[in-house]
Amino acid sequence: MLPEALFLVSVAAGFVGAMSGMGGGVVLIPALTLLGMDIKQAIAISIVSVVATSSGAAAAYVRDRLTNLKVGMFLEMFTIVGALAGASLTLVVPQQPLYVAFGLVLLATWTTLLFQRQQAEATTARQDRFTRWLDCDGSYYDQASGQTVRYHAVRAYLGGPLMCGAGLIAGLLGVGAGAIKVLIFDVAMGLPTKVATTTSNLIIGVTALAGTSVYLAGGLIDPGLAAPVILGIVLGAFVGTRLLVRLRNQVIRRFFLIVLLALGVEMLVRGVRGAL
Amino acid sequence: MSESSALGHGRGAAPAQDMETLVGYILQVGVLLSVALLAAGLLWHWAATGSSRLDYTLAGMSFFQFLLADLQQALAGAFRPRLLVSLGIATLLLTPYLRVAASFLYFALVARDGKYATFTGFVWAVLTYSLFLR
Repeated sequence: MLPEALFLVSVAAGFVGAMSGMGGGVVLIPALTLLGMDIKQAIAISIVSVVATSSGAAAAYVRDRLTNLKVGMFLEMFTIVGALAGASLTLVVPQQPLYVAFGLVLLATWTTLLFQRQQAEATTARQDRFTRWLDCDGSYYDQASGQTVRYHAVRAYLGGPLMCGAGLIAGLLGVGAGAIKVLIFDVAMGLPTKVATTTSNLIIGVTALAGTSVYLAGGLIDPGLAAPVILGIVLGAFVGTRLLVRLRNQVIRRFFLIVLLALGVEMLVRGVRGAL
Repeated sequence: MSESSALGHGRGAAPAQDMETLVGYILQVGVLLSVALLAAGLLWHWAATGSSRLDYTLAGMSFFQFLLADLQQALAGAFRPRLLVSLGIATLLLTPYLRVAASFLYFALVARDGKYATFTGFVWAVLTYSLFLR
């Protein structure tokens, strides 16, 4: 497999990932397997590149004071345990179930993106005792309205175990699982969308590192292949994020959603057909 | 509860802001350095050999052994494309690790927040263990 091809595919994956809001890994892994890479190796290389894209984005979000560090650090305890378990599982299972699982997760994520509410507001629900004990209320400056938004989290006792599941998927399939994390923040913990997406980004870096450590020990990470993928996906995500600020075009969004749907169905079909 | 009491009694007016600056800085520098090392390594290899494929694996080595071997070579001045790429990968993986370590030290020593020092300490310990896996 040519590093030039890996690089170009990764640029495209980073770009589509940033434009669609799904993250790079979800596009990268099907693309790498289409190039003929073993799915386990594709998963291992993808999760290393997830460390790069999420850390790069998190740096900007944290300094803009959008990220809730305390909520993130509480939930990281759960995601890393899930990621270690998930990655260990991938090392031992056969390939076909991984294709099926990947297809299903892609389609589920795609569905949540399709029905995404535009912006969730801060919850008005009463805070439970456990979440109050966590002492993680926050505020951020909203540029659109020019106001400081104050918010509090709820049901952290539910968010923890759910995040363990999100970490499991991230480690198992080598993706950030950002859409799932954002959904948990939104539905279970009542955080506003801006805080949910940026805090999810912070957690993804550490979760991907836990997964990476397992794949590294399993000998699945080839630096000669990982390097062009990391460079490509960082470049693609960088350009995609810049463009996203300028063009919020519904047509483009729909085009990407169709591409992602096709990839999900393709992975599922490959998994099911191989099993028969 | 006011913001300053919620965040412990650290130095200055807004201790949480120190922490956010620190975390943001670690992540930014780590990713930029890593990308620069990877790009330099690949370009050097390509310029020297005309081939873009860098062939080597890391089988049977824990991350810390890998890091130690790289640092020894770097200190010995044995720079070559492969070493730059290895250092790039190592820098990338150290970035979130150091971010967690810095958060732990911040909560434990500056903010004196036992709860969050325990949380980040747990994450740090699990990551340290997992990076020793081989």
